[in-house]
Amino acid sequence: MRRIAAALWLAVVLAACLHVGLTVRRGLPLESDLMALLPTEKLDPGVRQAEEAINVQLSRRLIVLFGSTDATAARSAAEDLNYRLRESGLLTSASDIPDADAIKRLGAAYFPARAGLLAEEDRHRLMDGQGEELLERALGQIFGFGGIADGRLLARDPFLLFPAFLTALPMPSGRAHLEDGHPVIEDQGLTWVGVTGVLAGDATSLSFQKHFAEMFGAPPPGVKILRLGAIFYASAGTGSALKLSSAIGGVSLLATALLLLIVFRSVRPLLLGLLSVAVGLIAALSACLLVFGTLHVAAQLFGASLIGIAADYSLLYFAQIFSPARDANQRLRQVLAGISLGMGTTVIGYLTLALSPFPGLHQVALFSAVGLLAAYATVVVWFPLLDRLPAKPLTPALNRAAVRVEAFWAGRGRTVAALVGLVLGVAGYALLSIDDDVRHQQALDPALSAQQIDVQRLLGWAPSNQFFLVEGADDEEALQREEALAERLRPAAEAGILASWMAPAGFVPSEARQEADRALIEERLVRPYLPDLSAKLGMPLSAPDTGPPLTLQAVRDSGAIALLPAMLISPGRHIVLLQDVHDLTALAKVADGLPGVRFVDPTGEISAVLTAYRQRSVLLLAASVLLMAPLVAWRYGLRGILPVLGPPALAIILTPALLALIGLPFTFFTALGLVLALSIGVDYAVFCAEDGRLAPVTMLGVTLAMASAVLSFGLLAVSEIEGMRTFGAAMLVAVPLAWAMAPLAAWAKKRKR
Amino acid sequence: MKRALLALALLAAAGQAEAQTLADGQIIRGHFTQERHLQGFANAIKSDGHFVLAAGHGLLWVTEQPFAVTTAITAEGLTQSVGGKQTAKFDAQRLPVLSRIYAMMSGALAGNWDTLKADFSVQREGAHIVLTPLRAETTGAAVGKISLVVSHFVDEVEIERPNGDSDHIVFSSQTLSAGPLSAEESSALGQLHP
Repeated sequence: MRRIAAALWLAVVLAACLHVGLTVRRGLPLESDLMALLPTEKLDPGVRQAEEAINVQLSRRLIVLFGSTDATAARSAAEDLNYRLRESGLLTSASDIPDADAIKRLGAAYFPARAGLLAEEDRHRLMDGQGEELLERALGQIFGFGGIADGRLLARDPFLLFPAFLTALPMPSGRAHLEDGHPVIEDQGLTWVGVTGVLAGDATSLSFQKHFAEMFGAPPPGVKILRLGAIFYASAGTGSALKLSSAIGGVSLLATALLLLIVFRSVRPLLLGLLSVAVGLIAALSACLLVFGTLHVAAQLFGASLIGIAADYSLLYFAQIFSPARDANQRLRQVLAGISLGMGTTVIGYLTLALSPFPGLHQVALFSAVGLLAAYATVVVWFPLLDRLPAKPLTPALNRAAVRVEAFWAGRGRTVAALVGLVLGVAGYALLSIDDDVRHQQALDPALSAQQIDVQRLLGWAPSNQFFLVEGADDEEALQREEALAERLRPAAEAGILASWMAPAGFVPSEARQEADRALIEERLVRPYLPDLSAKLGMPLSAPDTGPPLTLQAVRDSGAIALLPAMLISPGRHIVLLQDVHDLTALAKVADGLPGVRFVDPTGEISAVLTAYRQRSVLLLAASVLLMAPLVAWRYGLRGILPVLGPPALAIILTPALLALIGLPFTFFTALGLVLALSIGVDYAVFCAEDGRLAPVTMLGVTLAMASAVLSFGLLAVSEIEGMRTFGAAMLVAVPLAWAMAPLAAWAKKRKR
Repeated sequence: MKRALLALALLAAAGQAEAQTLADGQIIRGHFTQERHLQGFANAIKSDGHFVLAAGHGLLWVTEQPFAVTTAITAEGLTQSVGGKQTAKFDAQRLPVLSRIYAMMSGALAGNWDTLKADFSVQREGAHIVLTPLRAETTGAAVGKISLVVSHFVDEVEIERPNGDSDHIVFSSQTLSAGPLSAEESSALGQLHP
């Protein structure tokens, strides 16, 4: 029977090995978008569509600037990179900076409609009855040095309103000019030559990142480089996450191995322990690939941590070689109930993660649950056949240590610990702060952030993460609503709430506005001042001809305004981009009461969702305690619930307080850490409860388990990713606390069956 | 404007090529008469006034007849005022062409012909210099041909544009001084960043 089970399990494990092996040969489908950890659920499908449109348009945009005192060196570096990226098909689409032809097309689109086009400032002058200023400006430009006066233009636009309109367009890239298709910026003695375009692939795809990195190369010596684009952040994020993952995995594995060698003075427990962990990992990988098709880097990180937890069962089992148990079967019988119950409660704990709406966590839940089950099955089915170790006496030192722990909880230590816990808990909860800001949970490469500021300074425009979504029955209504919004944004910009904004209506006034401006020009400028201008020039002049109104389509088709397509989601749905938002709260209220205008802050929304799920995961904690209770009651009776679930529950209640005492806020990731710590803590309590007399071997097994858990999960506390760090810190505090209190569970009287 | 700055650059450059190098702080003052021929306009638009070219500061172009129009050009940009009231202001940050051409002008002021040769082919015959833009899509879009008559200073400039408009400027009573700018001149040049 046992041999059949072992053979069946072998078949399953071999199948998993084959599956994973074949997938690895084809290349592991890894995913690295840290945001995939966050929920896909959003409040409004319209807003979500706008966010996605913006994301595709903006996150695939790439700007690289090469700077040098030697303009030729900067230019050749840019040309070189441009050639490599376009030849390899990584970069598509033309530059963000319009070329001369596009500018000509734009002029050709605007010119026929000039009778209804007015610069903002000119409109205000006319409305304020300051038409004379426009007359004087025209005279200055005609008679003064330089100016934009042009014979043919003057005959068609006597007050030179059209050049004023063009100069006032909210065009990006104010300081760059094009030379042979490359934007060039002169700044503080350096010549910057740029490569811009749109990526042909997904910046978060690992294989695309790899191909991109190969083609990107390094700038030649003496040439500075500035990079802007999601791909650079994503590559940096993936790089550090992967490096960290393998570092944590390596250190955890090494430390666990050392621990086993020192304690057992034999290599077999180590090898068998590794076997159970390896089987767990392979099975988990295979299951994740089967269910999700891809493997998330975050799931891999947790997978690395899983190594420590899956080793618990082998540790508890091998601690039995120091017991009077004669052979492998007896050893298994001693621990079977404990590890089965522990596995059950842990899997319940992990599976509560799957109740959260976070897709990344679903992977983690499946990965951990399958990994644990497989490691457990390996211990139960294979160990008795593979374990040939003779029984050994426990070293006196270890024995004494175990006895001392037991004595501590039997004596006055209990009261002292309770008092200390109470004081620290109250003090900690008084200091507790909550942090849900998603921007604190990700590590953005500081060097890249600094480069981004430089690029924005040089190019003069880079949209911020927030935007206004403007909706109307058609484009005309949307444009009119943007004009109403602009009336609110102008004073907001003057008050320093934001630096500037860019709206489709800034490039194409609504037809209603064009009509109104045409009337305004006729009434306040042409009629009173044109005879005067004609007289001063000694030439008869005529008002601009009224042509067909300007259309959004014509301006868009010119291709001269690179960001315009990004702002037009669909007819009647537009986006207003913002730059340098200084006061989010004030800006969010700017559009209050304007029909069809909504402020969208994707980061803020995610933070709001994090708040909701932080609260939800606290409920999740309570839920997992409730879910474990029936299992515990079945084994130890109703009276056993408090001694078994009490210590781990107390540990996770105390942890946020202790973290607050060292200045760490409570975040969603702290709550997640506590969910896992609860499962682990219940394991320890169950192991102790199973052994009512608290034999030193049990304490040894539990202690080894705690040490390896701290080594793996606690190591996340050194992560560069803030979310991982708080998660690790929570584990680092909660797991040892749960371990320290676990012996209290020995009071649970096993129910006689 | 582009055209204006080019003219300025050439003015300074040509002057220096013939005579002494204009050192930082040195100033050329003089009178000008300008005839602007615009396509479709029967009569030329005539104006006259005085100018101040201060190395390291910029150019003041003060039209006196038929209207008082003052144009100030510096590295920061261009301002124009009519009858003492500012009517136009262009920031070089917004119009990169301005700063680029200003850089060229600075090079030219220092007697650096290479700056000009990057954008123009330069032909000289005695007192006559002809400049033709090398690249049609950049400087060539604004300027067709520039002809200068040079003695100790630049005496005459003829700027022809691709669209058929042209400016003819004649300079007179030019003086070179090391003296400082008058308070009025300084403030006119400093209008962009008061």
